[in-house]
Amino acid sequence: MAIVAQQTKLSKILWPVLAWAVALIIFFPIAYMVMTSFKTDADAVKPELLFTFTPTLENYANMTENYDYWRFASNSIITSVAATLFTLFVAIPCAYAMAFTPSRGTKDILMWMLSTKMLPAAAVLYPMIYMTKAAGLYDTHFLIIMVLSLINLPIVIWMLFTYFKDIPKDIIEAAKMDGVNTWGEVREVLIPLAWGGIASTALLCFIFCWNEAYWTVRLTTTEAATLSKLIEGNRAPEGLFFGRLSAVSTAAVGPIVVLGWFCQKQLVQGLTFGAVK
Amino acid sequence: MANRTVPRLLQTPAVVLLLFWMLVPLSMTLFFSFIRYVLNNLRRPEWTSPSIENWRGFGNYQYVWNQDSFWLAIQNSLIIVCGILFLTVAFGIAIAILINRNFPGRGIVRVMLISPFFVMPAVNAVLWINMLLDPVLGLQGIAVAGINDIISGLREAPLVGGFFSLWPEFSPISFRGAQASSYAVIMMVTWQWTPFAVLIFMTSLQSEDQQQKEAAVLDGASAWNQFRFLTLPHLGRPIAIVVMIQAIFHLSLYAEIEIVSRGSGNKNLPYYIGELVNNNIGAASATGIFAVILANIVAIFLLRMIGKTLME
Repeated sequence: MAIVAQQTKLSKILWPVLAWAVALIIFFPIAYMVMTSFKTDADAVKPELLFTFTPTLENYANMTENYDYWRFASNSIITSVAATLFTLFVAIPCAYAMAFTPSRGTKDILMWMLSTKMLPAAAVLYPMIYMTKAAGLYDTHFLIIMVLSLINLPIVIWMLFTYFKDIPKDIIEAAKMDGVNTWGEVREVLIPLAWGGIASTALLCFIFCWNEAYWTVRLTTTEAATLSKLIEGNRAPEGLFFGRLSAVSTAAVGPIVVLGWFCQKQLVQGLTFGAVK
Repeated sequence: MANRTVPRLLQTPAVVLLLFWMLVPLSMTLFFSFIRYVLNNLRRPEWTSPSIENWRGFGNYQYVWNQDSFWLAIQNSLIIVCGILFLTVAFGIAIAILINRNFPGRGIVRVMLISPFFVMPAVNAVLWINMLLDPVLGLQGIAVAGINDIISGLREAPLVGGFFSLWPEFSPISFRGAQASSYAVIMMVTWQWTPFAVLIFMTSLQSEDQQQKEAAVLDGASAWNQFRFLTLPHLGRPIAIVVMIQAIFHLSLYAEIEIVSRGSGNKNLPYYIGELVNNNIGAASATGIFAVILANIVAIFLLRMIGKTLME
């Protein structure tokens, strides 16, 4: 028993130290990026100034001038917000119907929806370019909003479905008895009850839209170009602009990483389609 | 049966949208894969627009099948996906076990560990290839230069100098070209997706049977045996899910490949298609169909597994 006690005592100190060390190593690249964003471009590449430097806000002040940051950022905001709202607008009624009045086909429809998510985007790249150019939609906000909605729709329906399934059916039945119509049920009973689930689904959908880097890069040039496109366009700064590139990168990912902290739990459910509990 | 209509109606918009999204572009790809369709062709201008008259049958498939670059792209896709899968599962299990107990600051540790997952892929790639892995100005370059400095200093030192003068100068690795670009992509994506594996394994560990574990401890089972015979079997299903979901995501990696090497390094299948799309649409479409087949092999297993738990 003595040995066991000693082991636990040792591991009581060693365990947290190890956990903290791993967490710091994994977080280091982000910390390094944030740190570099406060250095001038000249200081950013000097090894002797790696951790000791005079912080400056110059990179953030010049973000608009250097990269036209706000044009890309506002495109990202517009497309991600609109796509999230549109996705919810289509997904909530669908998930509602699937959860409260399931039929024999419901499971198959859900599985089929999921399978659309597994189609490799590259396989349909040219038809998308061809169609959108022919329709005059290439490089428009409308196109990006639609594409972002479509790629996230299966996951959103799926997540909402798993939330709605847990709401007791009696509550909806009671509302029906009171003569509330379907829209009323959704608005007055379902949405207030499942508010938390809907909010975290929306948050996750927004994050996925914001980070999307295939269609937003391949289907835009300037008008609807998002932050992914901006960063991708500045992929090789030849070492001259580490400071300003870090600043624009930090500005692009900072809000999303913070938002992400609030939906860790939903992430597991959303990305595994409820298969891990 | 009037109350069947309302639910159907509510599902219709979503179903129609997804049906359109799935069928229309994919059937166009299928059509293009059977015709001669080349964007820049002065000699045969009739091939520059899609038409049934340029029917080629399985010619595009045959052409792609016989290209070495196609097989290289498939090979690279598989190397990258398998490398990432192996590393994320291994790190994921280790870290999940590491933080699956109480210690001071656990909340902050969790927040730090999950953060990389929310960094946008474009930033992830730019950050890694420039600031961390650049052979001169990145941390890699700085670290290698530092080590070389120390060694050359030691060469002058008495006694041990003779030993160190036998050491070579280390040279930093350039990750932008050739084989090393795959390793860079594996590194950055592993960094990004390990948190995902950690989250899922941790969720699963929390449902592990504690009584069984205590019984094992009382029976004197070693830590390794507890892991091997209790924890690992318990994690079997989550591991399968992590592997399949990641396989589907990483088979379509694009931004990272583009940013790391701009085509001068290893190409994976989506990048290869992206290059063909600039000119040879027929071949690009045939390659796309191959990519669909490859993804479906994984997807069938995943869907079957998810389907089992769906209606519980």
